[in-house]
Amino acid sequence: MTSTSITRRQLLAATAASALGLGLTRPVRAAGGETPIKIALITSLSGPFAALGESMRAGLELLILESGGKMGGRRVTLLVEDDQGKPDEAVRKVRKLLSQDKVDILCGVISAAVALAIRDIVTDAKALTFISIAAANGLAREAASPYIFRPTKTSWMLGHTGALWTYDKIAKEGGLTLGSDYAAGREYVGDFMTTYRQQGGKLGQQLWTPLGTADFAPIVMNLAALSPAFVYAFFPGADAVRFLQQVRDFKLQDKIRVIGPGALFDQEDVLPAAGDAGMGGINTYHQSPGAPASAEFAALYQKVRNRLPGEASTSAYATGQVIRAGIEAVAGDIAQKDKLKERLLSAPVSTALGPMRFDSRNNQAILDIYVNEVRRGQDGKPFNTVVHTYPAIQDPGPKA
Amino acid sequence: MSPRFDAPRVAVKRRLGDKIALVLVLVLALAPLMSGDGFSLRFGAEILLIGTAVMSLNLLIGGGGLVSLGHAAVFGAAGYSAAVAAGSLGAQLPLMLLIGIAAGMLIAGIMGLVTLRSSGLFFLVLTLVVGQMVWELAFRWREITGGADGLRGFPKLALGSLRLDTPLALYLVAAGIALIGWAVTRSFQQAPIGQALAGVRDQPIRMGALGYQVGRIRVTAFLVAGAVAGAAGAIYPFVNQYIGPNSVHWSMSAALIIMAVIGGVGSLYGGYLGALVYLFVQTEVSSYTDRWQLVIGLIFVATVILMPNGIAHWLGQRGVRGGRT
Amino acid sequence: MSYYLVQTLNALSFSVLLMLTGLGLSLVLSLMNFVNLTHGSFFLLGGYVAIHWIGAGAPWWLAFPAAFVIAGTVGLVLDRFPFGRFYPRTHLMQVLLTYGLSVIFADLMRWGFGADTMSLPTPELLRGVVFVAGLPFPIYRLFIIASGGALAFGLWYAIDCTLWGAAIRACVIDRGIVETLGLNTRRIFTVGLVIAAGLGGLGGALGAGMLSAYPGLDEEVLLLALLVVVVGGLGSFGGTVLSALLLGFVTTFSRAWLPEFANFLSLGIMAAVLVIWPSGLVVRKMRQV
Repeated sequence: MTSTSITRRQLLAATAASALGLGLTRPVRAAGGETPIKIALITSLSGPFAALGESMRAGLELLILESGGKMGGRRVTLLVEDDQGKPDEAVRKVRKLLSQDKVDILCGVISAAVALAIRDIVTDAKALTFISIAAANGLAREAASPYIFRPTKTSWMLGHTGALWTYDKIAKEGGLTLGSDYAAGREYVGDFMTTYRQQGGKLGQQLWTPLGTADFAPIVMNLAALSPAFVYAFFPGADAVRFLQQVRDFKLQDKIRVIGPGALFDQEDVLPAAGDAGMGGINTYHQSPGAPASAEFAALYQKVRNRLPGEASTSAYATGQVIRAGIEAVAGDIAQKDKLKERLLSAPVSTALGPMRFDSRNNQAILDIYVNEVRRGQDGKPFNTVVHTYPAIQDPGPKA
Repeated sequence: MSPRFDAPRVAVKRRLGDKIALVLVLVLALAPLMSGDGFSLRFGAEILLIGTAVMSLNLLIGGGGLVSLGHAAVFGAAGYSAAVAAGSLGAQLPLMLLIGIAAGMLIAGIMGLVTLRSSGLFFLVLTLVVGQMVWELAFRWREITGGADGLRGFPKLALGSLRLDTPLALYLVAAGIALIGWAVTRSFQQAPIGQALAGVRDQPIRMGALGYQVGRIRVTAFLVAGAVAGAAGAIYPFVNQYIGPNSVHWSMSAALIIMAVIGGVGSLYGGYLGALVYLFVQTEVSSYTDRWQLVIGLIFVATVILMPNGIAHWLGQRGVRGGRT
Repeated sequence: MSYYLVQTLNALSFSVLLMLTGLGLSLVLSLMNFVNLTHGSFFLLGGYVAIHWIGAGAPWWLAFPAAFVIAGTVGLVLDRFPFGRFYPRTHLMQVLLTYGLSVIFADLMRWGFGADTMSLPTPELLRGVVFVAGLPFPIYRLFIIASGGALAFGLWYAIDCTLWGAAIRACVIDRGIVETLGLNTRRIFTVGLVIAAGLGGLGGALGAGMLSAYPGLDEEVLLLALLVVVVGGLGSFGGTVLSALLLGFVTTFSRAWLPEFANFLSLGIMAAVLVIWPSGLVVRKMRQV
């Protein structure tokens, strides 16, 4: 009986050893000929952000397909790595991509925690990185890096504009905030509160719930009892769907205005599942399916994936456009990193998120922020309709 | 088939099996050193550190029949303590180890005390709950632990003025810890207290009747396991200059148990093999297919199904002993 | 006062949901001594089935039996292989096997159903609210309370008051003797597992209206179910109900009063219960080996 334990352990170890050996060998480069530019997409294909990760991959793949698989005259290969929503794994993957696969450009990253975790590694390795979704304020301030570009928003940009709109158009007092108690939630709500108060508004309670709340009923009940003028809320993914549905279930949808950063009402990630529960919601976002800048991309995406794009896919597409612009500026010679950076910092890039300029202090994009109201679209389904645009919002950046 | 009749043959085969496993582990351990590739060395260091944690878990599972679903909390808490301390006291190797061991022993000791009267499935769930409470702390105590973002930007590991942050140095430190951890675990298992622990695992009532203080033995086992896991956990943040709440989450504890099982419960070297297979599949296979979790699940299930009956005998927990067990 | 009344109803609906998640697990654990960590996967599968069923326009009240049948069928297949061989094994082995299988199922479901969050298109009849002392309370939650309660009662009756229930309970205590009575214990176990799996799927279908369905829900539900069933005490169905109520009320009210610490508090209380009563809330006397 126990003789098998030796064989089994041996077998396991032998398999592991040979597999490890295979993994350590580096692929042989074709002798002569042109080596393609390697772009690595770090996304979540499993874990809590899996849906966003899939959309992100689809958006970038679409851009590369549209470019004919070439940028700046050279072929481009895309490597997709799953960070599983875990910063530990992301760090491992990034190290592997840089030292084993020898990629030229990194992009993607959904979770703020992942972005911050890999910041030091890519900076030490001088690897050009383009963050597509993660909104952590820190990356535009104390954690900014000369090698990290962010062709997307910061939490501040959304919280700030949300407060401006709310103060001007919704109510000057009598509102509450409600957020998921983790870094992103704290940033959005915190920035909203700061600007709203600066404007002169008065806010009621700040409510927080743990991440992954299954039942919002007790909180919704509290809201019903408090009857606020509005609620500025943030929840990610499935929590957002449940929250909106439970507000509707308790017949509070018409009584309380729900305002939030765009992720709360994301066209692709939240609205399809929330359905009518999302109607009437107001959100500030750098992306809107109806915005003129992304009309072309929206039509293309709908043809390919049969759904309207949300932030994840649009941002990824825009990231691809930014990378392409940079590579074209150096005519495919990736080694000229400074020239590439100069191109991005000197002139705007035309993207699906509008003309994108980058702040030279922190490589952060300066973007138009749309105020979306969820109304009934042409097909009868909830649709983020642009009611206002705040042009060229710039993150305050590193405190000088 | 009673174990008694097989005792000499089983003992010889077990010793032989362990020796072969030892040789394999040594060969695999030398591989990254020979390739010299930065990534392999760092990855190897991670495997060694996590493998040490799995080995300490094996002390509890194989040695004591105590399947803890909260061991990641011990490992991760040590990591957090070291990283936080490094921020204010500098990252000197001896200090980091000391803090890690203390933190590991503290959390493990708490777990041991809380679960004194529990066994079987209740023990499993209670360790899970306590581990998750540690996670809630790590996730919520933003000022100290960085919350969901975790900790980064703390000083790099050093010994006096010698910098230890190169891949090679980290690998050697990890290997050193693995070696010392192995020595400690082995001496524990062979010492009278380790034998007593095995007795408590198999026949707790009889041990009590014989006058052994079952509670004290269990808590001691937890403390030793906590110290070993704590030492490994203390160095873990320095491999990637990052530590996050994921390292204390119950899914990490589950992963540690999977590694222990793949490697072979009750074997000292099994932990390292299990860690290697699991981390390798997680990191390398996921580059080739989206379905890497399927692969890990299949490997794991195959291991469990094809496992020889001998291991089931060892663990000796509740179960019908009749028929083919 | 009315606020407390509605919060109590909230707590009750959450408790019933917890009990639903724990039903199938409690059945296999208490009666068959089998730890089934794939229970969360059955729950999620039931949710997906119900969502697609109603979404496809089929009669909504058939969605729930459909979820039961489909989950039960998967349970039947699993019983053939590999569960059947693991019934007599130790709890640890069962935990390891079923956990590995749950990882496999999670990936397969993500592959098949996609990563998006899907929600149940609530049928017209169940939408809307009733007003309890001036505050709105969703009809769907009343539906959950009613159906969950009915299921629990039905299960208790089947286990405690029928011959089949007695046969299953006897199998766990001494399978050999039951065999000598001429009963096919293998088939009894199969039936038990199929019903437990079906219950898991049914729970998921009912719960989909509250929780939606997405990859990761299976793990979350499994955790809750395990907590509820184990704290309630093995070998007793009443214990599961009791601990579901405990966890449901503690969670709901702590979320209403101290939302930030809700999770920590719930976990702490469950841990305290396990420390004070190491074998759960309701202990059925088992023979000491």
